[in-house]
Amino acid sequence: MPDSRWLAKGRDRLRGRSRRAGLTLAIFVLLGAHGDLLGWGAADPVRIPSNVAWTARTIAMASSGNALRGLLIARRCDRCHGHEGFSSSPLVPNLAGMDRLVVWKQLDDFRSGKRSSTVMQPIANSLSLDDSADVAAYYWMMPIAPDPQDDRAFPQSLSDPKHEAVAGRLITKGDGSRGLPPCQACHGPIGFVTGAPSLATQNATYLLEQIEGFASGRRANDINMRMRSVAVQLTDEERRALAQFYGAGLAEWSARPAGR
Amino acid sequence: MEQDKGSISNSRISTATHAEEHLAETGSSAKSVVRVVLLSLVLTCVWLTVRFPYEAESGLEYLLSGPNRINPQTLHLRGEFVESSLGPAEESGGGVTVRMIAEQYLFVPQCVVVPTGVPLRVRITSADVVHELTVNDTGDEIKAVPGYVVESHLEFKRAGEYPMHCLEFCGPGHYTMRSRLIAVPLEQFRLLSREARISCARQ
Repeated sequence: MPDSRWLAKGRDRLRGRSRRAGLTLAIFVLLGAHGDLLGWGAADPVRIPSNVAWTARTIAMASSGNALRGLLIARRCDRCHGHEGFSSSPLVPNLAGMDRLVVWKQLDDFRSGKRSSTVMQPIANSLSLDDSADVAAYYWMMPIAPDPQDDRAFPQSLSDPKHEAVAGRLITKGDGSRGLPPCQACHGPIGFVTGAPSLATQNATYLLEQIEGFASGRRANDINMRMRSVAVQLTDEERRALAQFYGAGLAEWSARPAGR
Repeated sequence: MEQDKGSISNSRISTATHAEEHLAETGSSAKSVVRVVLLSLVLTCVWLTVRFPYEAESGLEYLLSGPNRINPQTLHLRGEFVESSLGPAEESGGGVTVRMIAEQYLFVPQCVVVPTGVPLRVRITSADVVHELTVNDTGDEIKAVPGYVVESHLEFKRAGEYPMHCLEFCGPGHYTMRSRLIAVPLEQFRLLSREARISCARQ
């Protein structure tokens, strides 16, 4: 049946062609609907604050660290961050009890240059994603309760009673008239937002430096401008008061995030 | 002639039987094709559910469902809600689009300058839970739902400051989740830089 075979072949060819046309059309429709995803038609250069996004996979990766391996890697961090995560310098953050997602994200931001530090960037560059998770798991396990046996120096500063009223109000109630949320809604103990550190045992000088950094845009690795929006609205007095309050250990009753 | 007729009818019959055979053949092959397609579809679904237990992560749903679905976890990485495109933007066809993110416990940008007497297209989405943007003076309410871009149209006749609250309980910081919208005449709006349009939040 030469004629019917020819017909079938023609029909197949036609089918293949229409299928190809349909596929091409579908691709164009999808690209048209999602061109913005590829950055088409975006006039401004896109600014990305951090490469980390808290998808389930990232959270699983960041919290899968092995604390024992982390213990070995963290010996490199001792000199600045202290043997048990309490630093000897007021400019260096305490890492004891720090949520592992926080440590992992900051290491990733140092690695990608989203947060700049001449000290931390080369160190973070030498760590792989798994190493970061291990170190994060190690510091996460370090207790924040004071232990007379070890050499931790916290608190490094004492609070000024004048500052306590200002800071206490901001931490527990926030300021509705300016749209400032209470600090404890994200930084604990009453609520934690993924990626927000517990501030209960943080150094005052370091905290002040970070608030100033967020306010001026020097540090801008917060996802969706959370900290920048808040910090820019704090007055100088409030910034100092908050840093002192946390730095004096007045919020030490704060718990670590539960269930992570 | 008769023989010829006979041969023609014979050949017709033979073509008919061949055609039937061919039909049966194609029918069975079509059936097997359908079977393979269905099986691969089922296997793909099984693979997707095992590999991507969270639908939000597969990206497939977002790819197939159009521009008003969005992954709430990756707003800052790509799409129309990256931080450099937040806030009011003048459209080429006239009108102004305002893009905002609602998140625990802020509206970002927290203070927006918009022009009066111009139709505003507000596109808002949530980075975490459901929020509701409420303009106090006009009573306009816009839900912000994670995973979706909610578009709504507003217009401000009177210049001035419009406080906005969150009207959907969203967590311990809900009571201070407020933001402001400042309406100014269009000429004044046009003079402002992009930075100035979103940085009216005060100390």
